[in-house]
Amino acid sequence: MTLLSVRNLAVDYATKGGTLHAVSRGTLEVGAGEVVGLVGESGCGKTTLARALTGVVPRNATFKGGEVVFEGKDLLAGPPAAWKDLLWRRISFVPQSSMNALDPVYRVGTQMEEVLRLRGGLGREAARNRTAELFGLVGLDAKRSVEYPHQFSGGMRQRAAIAMALALEPSLVIADEPVTALDVIVQRQVLDTLRDLQSRLGVSVLLVTHDISVVAYVCDRVVVMYAGEVVESGKVGDVLAAPRHPYTMGLTNAFPDLERAGGTLAPIMGAPPDLRSPPTGCRFAERCPFAVARCRSESPPLTVAADGHASACWRSDEAAALAETARDPATWTPTSASAA
Amino acid sequence: MRSVAIRFGQMLLVLWAVATLLFFLFRLMPGDPTAAYIDTTFTAEQQEALKKQFGLDRSLPEQYALYFGNVLRGEFGTSFRSKRPVFEMIFEVLPNTLALTALSITIAYIFGVLVGAWLAWKRGSIAEAVGIPIVLTLRAAPEFWLGMVLLAIFAFGLGWFPSGGANSAGADYGSTLARMTSADFLHHLILPSMTLALYLQGLPLLLMRSNMLDVLQEDYVMMARMKGLPEWRILLMHAARNALLPVVTAFALGLGASVGGNVVVETVFSWPGLGRVLVDAVASSDYPLAQGAFMFIALILIVMNFVADLLYSVLDPRVAHG
Amino acid sequence: MVEVAAQPPVLSRKRKLPSLMRALRLPEKDPLALIGVTIYVVFLLVALFADFLAKDPLEILFLDDGNLAANLGPSLEFPLGTTNLGRDIFSQLVIGTRSAFMVGLTAALAVVALGTLVGLVSGYFGGLVDAALMRLADIALGIPFLPFVIVLAAFLGPQTQNVVIAITVLLWPNTARVIRSQVLTLRERGFVEAARVAGSSDWRIIRVHIAPNILPLSLLYGSIAIGWAILTEASVSFLGFGPSGSVSWGGMLQDAYASQALSRGSYNWFIPPGLCIVLVVVAGFFISRGYEEVLFPKLKD
Repeated sequence: MTLLSVRNLAVDYATKGGTLHAVSRGTLEVGAGEVVGLVGESGCGKTTLARALTGVVPRNATFKGGEVVFEGKDLLAGPPAAWKDLLWRRISFVPQSSMNALDPVYRVGTQMEEVLRLRGGLGREAARNRTAELFGLVGLDAKRSVEYPHQFSGGMRQRAAIAMALALEPSLVIADEPVTALDVIVQRQVLDTLRDLQSRLGVSVLLVTHDISVVAYVCDRVVVMYAGEVVESGKVGDVLAAPRHPYTMGLTNAFPDLERAGGTLAPIMGAPPDLRSPPTGCRFAERCPFAVARCRSESPPLTVAADGHASACWRSDEAAALAETARDPATWTPTSASAA
Repeated sequence: MRSVAIRFGQMLLVLWAVATLLFFLFRLMPGDPTAAYIDTTFTAEQQEALKKQFGLDRSLPEQYALYFGNVLRGEFGTSFRSKRPVFEMIFEVLPNTLALTALSITIAYIFGVLVGAWLAWKRGSIAEAVGIPIVLTLRAAPEFWLGMVLLAIFAFGLGWFPSGGANSAGADYGSTLARMTSADFLHHLILPSMTLALYLQGLPLLLMRSNMLDVLQEDYVMMARMKGLPEWRILLMHAARNALLPVVTAFALGLGASVGGNVVVETVFSWPGLGRVLVDAVASSDYPLAQGAFMFIALILIVMNFVADLLYSVLDPRVAHG
Repeated sequence: MVEVAAQPPVLSRKRKLPSLMRALRLPEKDPLALIGVTIYVVFLLVALFADFLAKDPLEILFLDDGNLAANLGPSLEFPLGTTNLGRDIFSQLVIGTRSAFMVGLTAALAVVALGTLVGLVSGYFGGLVDAALMRLADIALGIPFLPFVIVLAAFLGPQTQNVVIAITVLLWPNTARVIRSQVLTLRERGFVEAARVAGSSDWRIIRVHIAPNILPLSLLYGSIAIGWAILTEASVSFLGFGPSGSVSWGGMLQDAYASQALSRGSYNWFIPPGLCIVLVVVAGFFISRGYEEVLFPKLKD
């Protein structure tokens, strides 16, 4: 059953250098009880897309169309108050671990109680008990709820953020790079906690990350974004083992493969296009070793195959062969890119 | 706790340094402190006696020791002009100065904080484009000139307020408290305190606005929005609460500085306060009185600087629970 | 009040001069800063050509009928009227521009020079020197500003330079503290470390790597200090401790106040000098704000 369905969502930023089309094809689905990864390199618009799903965007951002259907209702078309009413009760958010998401002047427990009382309608006593319960849930000592955020370690703060997100038992948790700033061991622990709670509580998670290995570790499905557009999505096994978009092929190459020992690192040459004036054709064409003339003139649509694996590439019917070529690091050197 | 002790020690050091500076300032000036006081009709013996009374017949180190002992005991000597103890004269006017300072700075900070927060919330709007230049202009206006303009309009022109002093002539109240709570006193207090408030509001307003702009960018404010918390609660409990920290410090600093800064406003409104006492004493070469008034103004300033430091560490848990 | 949270752009050795010039260039896009510069230019021209614009400001004038030209309202002959002693207010206003600029510029220069020097030495060398200089700054900040200036002006004599000295002695710590913290962050930067490893002398590092980066900040504080100096001088003159014999805006206001201009409603006498002070001081504020937004762009959206 589909919990959240986003179609062609577009978000613009007004900047000094002109309008920046941060997200122009935000298309993804999250099923009930599913963990969906949203990956892409920094600046591809994944964080903008994830935050836009809460309706809370920076001042200079505007929605430029598309739909955000949550539990059957289009939030973007409906009144803002209805969307706001869903926040934290049905849709909650775990911020980037590097973020200063807890208010420095209040005790962590107080901040937990604030949302329980103001958004959950709990009384003082009930909120306090629930806070202790939530602390236990994420493996934090309830006694430490009287401490201030700066007295917590990075890992503890992130656990508290997860506890906070789960406070009102939402059906969707959007987690934006929840472990990026943590060291590897703590990353594992926090991810394990998140995964464990997700399966126990049956909550859906949209997990934003730039790290393919995190996707492989915890996600059921994955959505790949490039230059503001979703270019590929499908089951994690399908997308990582048999990518259909050359960008995904390059991306999976760029990470040391756990299963195929000795996999070589082959970074994708070049840089993403300037999103203030994106190219008319495929946005990846400039860096793509397989680009043909059509790629530069026409933008390929995101098409869904029978198995639910979606991709946006004019040459997706040759995907298997291209993926084979893409495994050779030499494919990604500048000379071969220009030759193809 | 240790940092508080260090700060306290630094405060004592500053107090000592300022007191010492004052000693040399008043001794090393051209001529002799009693020169202005000594009448030409005085006999040589009378002059000697007078010098002895002020300890001027001793060596400089001896004078310094004597001076310091006196300062520590709160003994500031006798006014040249009125022949009354300096300490008594200062305490007589101190309540007037404190009332004026406290009222004006409180009005200024309440107004400044609210309007500053509002302007930050409305950033990019016409209110901001018009408001900021007005605030800067008020801040650029000399206090005494603001006072003169208000006097000309509201006291002399419209006759709404008295033109000076703290109480109407001839009125007699049983106690200082009765005097200071009388309607007459408040009537006299309004124009000078409005003048000071107009001048003082700029700092808290601009500080609050710039802090709010910073805080509104903070992740926890975005998180509060994502939690669906009511806007007023985000603005007050999260944004303003954090932005207020430096403003509270500035309030304590401003309170200390304002006692000395009142000098001109007290003069314009003939307000019988500490600053006016200092100006009159300096103008009439009444050195014991000038020295005492200066020392008192400095004491209030230095203690408030210390209080500002303490306040900051009390209000910011990152410092308090380091 | 300037918060130094943001840092100025790191300047590479090659591009140092152009970047420095850019940092110092007038923030022409900021309308307030432009207004500020315009005000400065106008007053500067008035100060330069004061002799052509004004009569003798202290000359006592008489009307054709032989009466004293006292307490006159604005007219063609006396654009702003006359004082109670028959002096031309407009001429006083014009000549007063000079003393305002004299005090403002010299005091600002002295404050910034001393503050920058102390901040540099304190921040760069650290240790005991730093501790001593910063305690000295504490002490200077513990001295009540206006009372000190009054006492000094009264004791040392009512000359302009004494007011400037008093202002300098008390205002340098603000600049020094900001410059010091800026130097502290610069010192930790890679290029300073690299220069030190490469064997550059302290003096060379300060001159080549640190000073160019803090100069814009010094100027920012300078443009604020001009305003404070002019305000302070006006206050001191108003209280009667100002330079005698010279004409200044503060002195004009004292004259007006003491001569019952307020009760007589002679707005033409006491409004113009006050407005001139406001204009010159606010011009400094406007310009410094413009610089602030160039130096610390984070303040904008």
